[in-house]
Amino acid sequence: MAERVPLYRSWPMWLIIGATLAFLYMPLVPALLLSVRGEGAEEITWRWFYELWHISLVVKALRTTAMIALLVGLIAPLLGLLAALSIRELRLPRLILLIMLLPLFIPGVSMGLACAFLFRLLDMPPSLLTITIVQVLWALPFATLIILTVMATVDPIYLEAAYLSGASRWRAFRDIELPLIAPGVFGAASFSVIISVNETVRTSVVQGPWNTIPTYIWSTYKQVGLSPALYALMTLVILSTVALAGFYLLLNRPKQQPRKIAEITQASEA
Amino acid sequence: MQGARRSWRRFMRAGLLSLPVVFVVAFLFLPLCLTIVISFWERVGMKFRPALSLASYATIIEGARLQVLERSLIIAVEATALSLLLAYPIAYFLARKAGAHATRIVLVLFTIPFLINYIVRNVAWTSLLGRNGTINNFLKALGLIDAPLDWLLYSDFAVFVGLISSYMPFMIFPLVLSIGAIDKQYLEASALLGAKPWTTFLRIVIPLSLPGIFAALIFGFVGCFGESAVPIIMGGVGYELVGNTITSSMDVLNYPLAAALSSIVVIIMLVLMLSWYFIFDMRAFLGKILEWRG
Repeated sequence: MAERVPLYRSWPMWLIIGATLAFLYMPLVPALLLSVRGEGAEEITWRWFYELWHISLVVKALRTTAMIALLVGLIAPLLGLLAALSIRELRLPRLILLIMLLPLFIPGVSMGLACAFLFRLLDMPPSLLTITIVQVLWALPFATLIILTVMATVDPIYLEAAYLSGASRWRAFRDIELPLIAPGVFGAASFSVIISVNETVRTSVVQGPWNTIPTYIWSTYKQVGLSPALYALMTLVILSTVALAGFYLLLNRPKQQPRKIAEITQASEA
Repeated sequence: MQGARRSWRRFMRAGLLSLPVVFVVAFLFLPLCLTIVISFWERVGMKFRPALSLASYATIIEGARLQVLERSLIIAVEATALSLLLAYPIAYFLARKAGAHATRIVLVLFTIPFLINYIVRNVAWTSLLGRNGTINNFLKALGLIDAPLDWLLYSDFAVFVGLISSYMPFMIFPLVLSIGAIDKQYLEASALLGAKPWTTFLRIVIPLSLPGIFAALIFGFVGCFGESAVPIIMGGVGYELVGNTITSSMDVLNYPLAAALSSIVVIIMLVLMLSWYFIFDMRAFLGKILEWRG
């Protein structure tokens, strides 16, 4: 970030970035608007949001989604933490990382189909468990990368100090490293919840009779098409994702850098 | 006694640490192998049974599905290339030219739409791009067009919009990581030796960010090539790409055919992934995230 460019020279690039972001955010607008549009043009109604509670499939899907999100939010960060540790501790770290990133390289349908075959072979009927396994697989690379990133910011000197003070590896991990990387683990947990709440294609292959909110939206769209109630549901998905992302950002705020002595002295001189 | 306990603990530790790898191998790698095995099975009525049959592959080669594969490949390559052309300048600017604070904010803004359910995003595109959609109405109100534009929705154009908006944001991250990891001294040396900024960019920045470019291309390609929802939503009835051909084979319970199509996709992806792994150092892609033990 050394060669910072002044705004009067960099504005064309900011314009491109702004236009790209507008392109990405544009499709969020219709759902938000159409979900509150009343009979008249200017009228705003919350009717469709209330109506959602009377659709038993939606209520059930909401419960399923919450349940699975909770499980994925617990399991994926724990496995991600173990994965990050194993990349540091075990032999062949490059290979371990590659295996952990494998889910990123497999298209959703293929991943769902492969898991569906496995569950069929193992005689596991579609259940919360099968959906959870598929979603943990998809969340795991992200959780691992987030925890690895945070782990890299921890100065190894703290761990060395712990070892020199006679701490066992477990003790050093539990008392020194874990508290330092805890924000990363919670960040991975909230990221995993976001992924779980939004995952559709993989889940729809292994869901059986269990609908989550996204698979309900997807199947309703394919069978019936769009409706104000569906827009209301989409709005809820959008808003809850934005809220969760905000929560994630709050956890992973960059730490304030201690001001350098030179800056402080300069400031006091001026 | 002490030694036995110690080795037991060491064994437990290794077991615990390898749990995530075992999980991914058991629930993804082996199932992918299983998919390839099942692609050689026979379809008998509504069921399928073990066999060594090339029937599914024959169906693919004979029927229109070969064209579907070919078209999916072309569309995925084009959409990925377009995404890269958009993502690379942005990533370069963020990693090298913009301030750290601004970069963070912009990256967050790129992350949020990527996280939001992409079916919701694509469905919403239909109400923007349709014949009576926002964009057509807007253009008509401006007097730029008389009749609504037909090619905005249920067309190749719409599919490209869907694919690029779904996967382009994801491509920015590996690019920012790898461009940001380039040692500034190389760029300074290049400038000191009299290279113009453009030459430095072409001969230093781009080659050194190749691991990130390749990672971004793979992520974009994985998304675009395997995509099953975008062709349905944005392509409309009868628009077939390999992703939704797999789901429609599943809908008619032709699992060996779905497995064969999926195997072709997965093998292409695995070849790409392994070539990335063997050609490039992951350190260069992940920047400073990873510090390997000596």
